[in-house]
Amino acid sequence: MMDPKALAALGELLGDRLRTSLETRICYSYDATGKRFLPDAVAHPVDAEEVRRIVLLANRHRFPVVPRGAGSGFSGGSLPVHGGVVLSTERMDRLVAIDTENLYAVVEPGVVTETLKEEARRRGLFYPPDPASLKFSTIGGNIAECAGGMCAVKYGVTRDYVLGLEAVLGTGELVRTGVSTVKGVVGYDLTRMLVGSEGTLGIVTRATLRLVPLPEAAATMLALFPGNREAAGAVNAVVAARVTPSAMELMDRTAIDCVLAVVPIPLPEGTGSALLLEVDGPAPSVARDADRLAEVCRACGAIEVRRASDARGREELWKLRRSISPGLRRLAPVKMNEDIVVPRSRLADMFDFLAGLSARKRVRIVNFGHAGDGNIHVNVMTSGTDADETRRAEEAVEEVFRKTVEVGGTISGEHGIGIAKAPFLEMEVGPLGVSVMKRLKECFDPNGILNPGKIFLSEAAVRG
Amino acid sequence: MKDETLPALTGLCAKCGTCRTVCTLYPERKAEIAVARGKVALLEAALSGDDPDAESVQEALTDCLLCGRCERACPNQVLVEEIIMKGRADLAEEVGIPAWKSILFGKVMASPGATAAARKAAAAGERLLLSRVPTGSGLHYRFPGGLGTGGRTVPELPARGFVESLRKREAASGEVMLFVGCVFDHVFPQVGRAAYETVRASGKSVAVLRDAACCGLPAMVSGDRRSAMTCVEGNLRRLRSADPETIVFPCGSCLLMFRRNIPSLVPKGTPLHEDALWVADRSTDYASFLLASGVVDRLPEPPAGERAGEIGYHDPCHLSGTLGKGPEAREVLRRAAGSGFAEMEGADRCCGYGGTFNVRDYPTSARIGEGKVSLAARGGTKVISTACSGCVLQMRDMAARVDPSLRVVHIAELVAQALARGEGAAPRR
Repeated sequence: MMDPKALAALGELLGDRLRTSLETRICYSYDATGKRFLPDAVAHPVDAEEVRRIVLLANRHRFPVVPRGAGSGFSGGSLPVHGGVVLSTERMDRLVAIDTENLYAVVEPGVVTETLKEEARRRGLFYPPDPASLKFSTIGGNIAECAGGMCAVKYGVTRDYVLGLEAVLGTGELVRTGVSTVKGVVGYDLTRMLVGSEGTLGIVTRATLRLVPLPEAAATMLALFPGNREAAGAVNAVVAARVTPSAMELMDRTAIDCVLAVVPIPLPEGTGSALLLEVDGPAPSVARDADRLAEVCRACGAIEVRRASDARGREELWKLRRSISPGLRRLAPVKMNEDIVVPRSRLADMFDFLAGLSARKRVRIVNFGHAGDGNIHVNVMTSGTDADETRRAEEAVEEVFRKTVEVGGTISGEHGIGIAKAPFLEMEVGPLGVSVMKRLKECFDPNGILNPGKIFLSEAAVRG
Repeated sequence: MKDETLPALTGLCAKCGTCRTVCTLYPERKAEIAVARGKVALLEAALSGDDPDAESVQEALTDCLLCGRCERACPNQVLVEEIIMKGRADLAEEVGIPAWKSILFGKVMASPGATAAARKAAAAGERLLLSRVPTGSGLHYRFPGGLGTGGRTVPELPARGFVESLRKREAASGEVMLFVGCVFDHVFPQVGRAAYETVRASGKSVAVLRDAACCGLPAMVSGDRRSAMTCVEGNLRRLRSADPETIVFPCGSCLLMFRRNIPSLVPKGTPLHEDALWVADRSTDYASFLLASGVVDRLPEPPAGERAGEIGYHDPCHLSGTLGKGPEAREVLRRAAGSGFAEMEGADRCCGYGGTFNVRDYPTSARIGEGKVSLAARGGTKVISTACSGCVLQMRDMAARVDPSLRVVHIAELVAQALARGEGAAPRR
């Protein structure tokens, strides 16, 4: 339990924006992993100064501070695993400015990503990162986890769009990092340190984000293949053809079956794998690129290629990809949701491995993902009520990680480490990597009050 | 908590957070307890013995407009409205129902006589105590700001209700039964009258259910099953024994109550449940009836070019949500008003009424409603038409607050006007 003096001080600072009722604490105890840990209190600061004061109090009284955007993360980043204060950015949701000449936006961390994208769109501009949760996840959360999205294959991920930050470090110091300009190299890149740091080094209170011009047109294509090998081959052939699609999503038969159970989409006989591709840019080049992609797919053995360039038609094609999540839930109640990345050239091998693993461990594994960057969402589905099945599932997950590292990949493409992958951090970065990271953590947060229990496995709880 | 069906219902929630994108209340509250995910989590905690304070959980469940958007957006099809109503009912057994609710919904509105008496008293009260506010829809009276009423306005109440104005043996029986509802009987009898006249234009024999109790929705959503059953029992029995082929509801909320809620309220396997299903099967909304019965074919050509696009249609949550209605009313308006009708800005935004929500948190309800109505007005709409009593009440008040020239009507009033225009003129087909 937290020191009552600390709670009193927080109450004085925040008034009724500090809540300690059990009911409120329950509402901030979970995220999209479905796991639950009760915090001691929930704070809703409205500006950087309040965030700073909360962190200073945390250092004085030694309580954990757990920053939270929409609580929609998949790695446990916003779970208060050691109690303490959940610091919600829900009231820091102002879109401060959009500079249409210099092409950047300044936002508070609680701004919902889709809101920014929409405001940019209205001005003919584009904030590309499009994680699947974009309609409800926040910029702050996206920055903390370096969220990706389907367009990453062409446009990159969140870190590629963060020009500068204002953040409260674990020490309570309010720093400004980075620039508002397109380029800058002035001292160490603190911005990049903070992006993807999962709320363990600092709490973002303002972000300067790069915008690009809105593409003029887009075309979407759904290619159906006999199997993963052909589809993965097509992925590599697209790269070889030097066409950069703005999305390249692969769904294997397990994912397709999931969707078909919920949404009837007619598919040709013998479909074993599907590739959803999108190209964007000036209208003439979009048409040309779409033609080339269709050729490539056919050359790689596509059974059928469907195309659309009007909004409605494109939505129809996207349905297959977007309906996977709801379909998954119907398959089994508990999902271990992994987001590995392998080199594109090893995609086919990885899919073969996953199919074999599923058979060997006798667990259902559904695979789909951003094939364009080798990012596969591996979902191990269990009933949750069979202890042996759960054990086999956990073993399967560990094998997936080992294989991923073995083929030169990484265990998290866009979800972060959080608590979900902390046991495997060392497997990938090695003990020296972990040691260097911990040294940096000491610099930014010597008392270990910011989001303890995340990223590093054996971190003790903050002494309260 | 005792409801055994709740764990299976709440168990479907995957905590993804999608509900946050569509919740009408979330932008006002900016806190997780406002959205479906939070409310479901609270119920899960209560069900699994975490022991949150029952009153606080009830408070959280009550702080909801029941607009249903969360349910429609949910990728796992969690039945949020059912969960919230069951939760409220279950918790009401523990924490009780506020006295004013059980008296108003369970005694006054369950009794036609008491409702009429209350109306008369309120009509006298408003004339004596409140200040007059003329609006495009009619006279309103404003509450003084100080008393926590937030300066709300209420419409001028009539001397007689619609049903009272029927002659003794008029509309006593018929193939079609009109269930007018409390508001379109006692508050806006002109809507009851317009619905009646236009439904009669179908050529079918039309009965109006007299001595109807309130449909029971206000009691049911308050978690007061007992009061709801008091309202429901009499209505069901008399509707069944009247044996109409079709029952027409000008109010979308009443329709939702009869189509969806009553069959789940009444205990299964009882004769009353049979009646509930029988009535539900025959219940239809006003616009669908006009289309199906050919009334629209009797409407004259709408006058061309007249005030193009000034009439809009507001989608009541209760009609457009579970019941999936919307195109029907628009078709009726196109036939009645021609180019006078155009899709209005924010047509499907919730009006913010939420029934008793409007009473428990008027400032928030008014902010949502003012936003809705201002958006429509800025887009050029001068007449907002709709098909739900709550929405009419709310939007008339909102118009009085932000733009008194804006008229708010039930679509039946526009149809009645069109029919009257056609008197003497050749019918369209």
